[in-house]
Amino acid sequence: MVKDTRALFVIGSSHHEAPLAVRERFALSSEQTMDLQNTLHAIDGIEEILVLNTCNRLEFYGVSSVSGIETAIIDQLVKKHCFERALFDQHALLRRNLDAIQHVLEVAAGIDSQMVGETEIVGQLKSAYAQAASAGTTGPVLNRLMERALQAAKNARSRFAISSGQVSIGSVAVELAERIFGNLKHSHVLLLGSGEVAEKTAQALRSRGAASIAVSSRRFENARNLAHSFGGAAIDFEDFPGQLTNYDIIIGSTRAPVAILTFDLVQRALLKRPDRPFFLIDLAVPRDMDPALQSMESVFLYDLDDLAKIANENLSQRKAEIVHVRKQLNRSAWTIWLQLNRHALRSRHLQPTENSTILN
Amino acid sequence: MELHAYSDRLLFGIATLIYALVFLFGLFYLRKRKDYPRSLFIPLFAIGFTIQTLALNIRGIQLKACPLGNPFEVSQFVVWSLVLLYFIVGPALRLRLLGFFTAGLATVLGGIPFLFPQWDTIHSGGIFGGNPLIELHAALAAFSYGIFALLALFAVMFLIQQHGLRHKQIGGIYRILPSLRQLDQIANRTLWVGLLFLTAALAVGYVFWSREPESRTLFKLIFVSLLWLGYVICAVKIRRRKALTRRNAVVLILLFGGVILSLWPVESARKRSLQEPPAATSETLDPMEQINRKG
Repeated sequence: MVKDTRALFVIGSSHHEAPLAVRERFALSSEQTMDLQNTLHAIDGIEEILVLNTCNRLEFYGVSSVSGIETAIIDQLVKKHCFERALFDQHALLRRNLDAIQHVLEVAAGIDSQMVGETEIVGQLKSAYAQAASAGTTGPVLNRLMERALQAAKNARSRFAISSGQVSIGSVAVELAERIFGNLKHSHVLLLGSGEVAEKTAQALRSRGAASIAVSSRRFENARNLAHSFGGAAIDFEDFPGQLTNYDIIIGSTRAPVAILTFDLVQRALLKRPDRPFFLIDLAVPRDMDPALQSMESVFLYDLDDLAKIANENLSQRKAEIVHVRKQLNRSAWTIWLQLNRHALRSRHLQPTENSTILN
Repeated sequence: MELHAYSDRLLFGIATLIYALVFLFGLFYLRKRKDYPRSLFIPLFAIGFTIQTLALNIRGIQLKACPLGNPFEVSQFVVWSLVLLYFIVGPALRLRLLGFFTAGLATVLGGIPFLFPQWDTIHSGGIFGGNPLIELHAALAAFSYGIFALLALFAVMFLIQQHGLRHKQIGGIYRILPSLRQLDQIANRTLWVGLLFLTAALAVGYVFWSREPESRTLFKLIFVSLLWLGYVICAVKIRRRKALTRRNAVVLILLFGGVILSLWPVESARKRSLQEPPAATSETLDPMEQINRKG
């Protein structure tokens, strides 16, 4: 065997390792993600790199020729985004070689997602791959891995019912809203930001009879377009605090780095409408709504973790399917691993390292 | 004269067992996270109510008066009022699980007196002496207690729903329970209706008492007045806050506990009256004692 320390690795943190309060500190904007990806690619020893940044995970998929490159990656991340190194170390995930392939496959198939079986991750992974490829940070290994991973995930989804019976965040929100307000025909919804999940949630509320849906976003044009699709009004982002009293259900999905719905703001709004509670749905990471709002009696605050936990309530019914999917993905991971090695032997590009592990 | 025929107690017992059966039937379905089928639930509940009505009727005929002379009878009368209210307002309110909670409370309130045989002591019939004023008072008071029982159920349902929402619970009973807003509005209205009846009952009682102020049951008078005051404060607070709060809901449940407690002095006062010389007839008995006998 040729002695070579080149290895495929995955390093990062997801909802498995870190609670929402920690994950929101690791959150990056799309510009920051691209910037970090390019910076990492410039580091000696990192041959290929792809950054997957979603609301539930920040993961770095890469190929390195230097052992212990993970430290350099974390150093860069910590340096650029100002959080304690220990915090990341405490909530970090590290996989190498076959384990890394298995992880990528499970992520692509949605069985590693917070809402098991969700399909949004496929689009996020494709988009991250497309951006990395166009930036030239991927190479033969990651290109092959991504293409095969997306294919294997597609096969697994079509063969096994991992998404069947899955409850969407929208339907959970509707049920909760009906438990608070009863009939929704007098309930007014305010959408802060224009995230995809938030839009679907608002759509679900609308289909159950919500009286109106208004949208407020930093980009007024986005707000107007989205509001138009709901037949609602667009509100200037600076104006929404003064109009809170008019709304019963508020959905947050902005990319604001700090909470925009503060305790004082909601408290003032409640004083003007003491007879009606607020139902707050926070789908943003970092969170749009101050977690302290939870302590108010007339406020029912649900964040992404809460909703995902509820949506996964019927997970036990799908557990058997997930076991089958994992087995199939394990076989696919092996095949990809062998192909990558054959390819590496041919091109002397990638070798199995001594510490590579084999999954059962 | 032995007025307590075996048959009416047996019928009261059967009615209570049916209420328990209705409750368990509902519980069985709720444990399976399903709403119970009304086609079976309502007729079964109606059978229990009919049997209880029959039992009250038999006892009323035996007493030649409204059966409100001891804690056992008052409890049965309050349960009967509660179930009657459920059948009257239930279809209009369309509150899910109201029947289930009513059956539960009816089982507890109707069943506990069977554990204390001394509560169903013998008493002479016609305890109200045919005075229409006090008869009106008793009817109003018993009816208001039924309303407050229903109100306590709304408060319990409100607290369960709120607990579920605060602790991020979904499915099961939480999905079937009415919404917070619905419970808030209905509890608010029920509280005012209950207060209206209790105020009328107390007013009639005070008028009667003012005519014969030699009271031996001042404690009971103060106790019921305090309960009334408690309900008034609660109603004002809810009106000011414009919404039912957790604290108010707990207070409403505690106040209903007070209503139940107020049945005890009836018994002690009645016992005292039986031990006293025959001069203490229904005409000379303290009106509040007569009031208290009716709950």
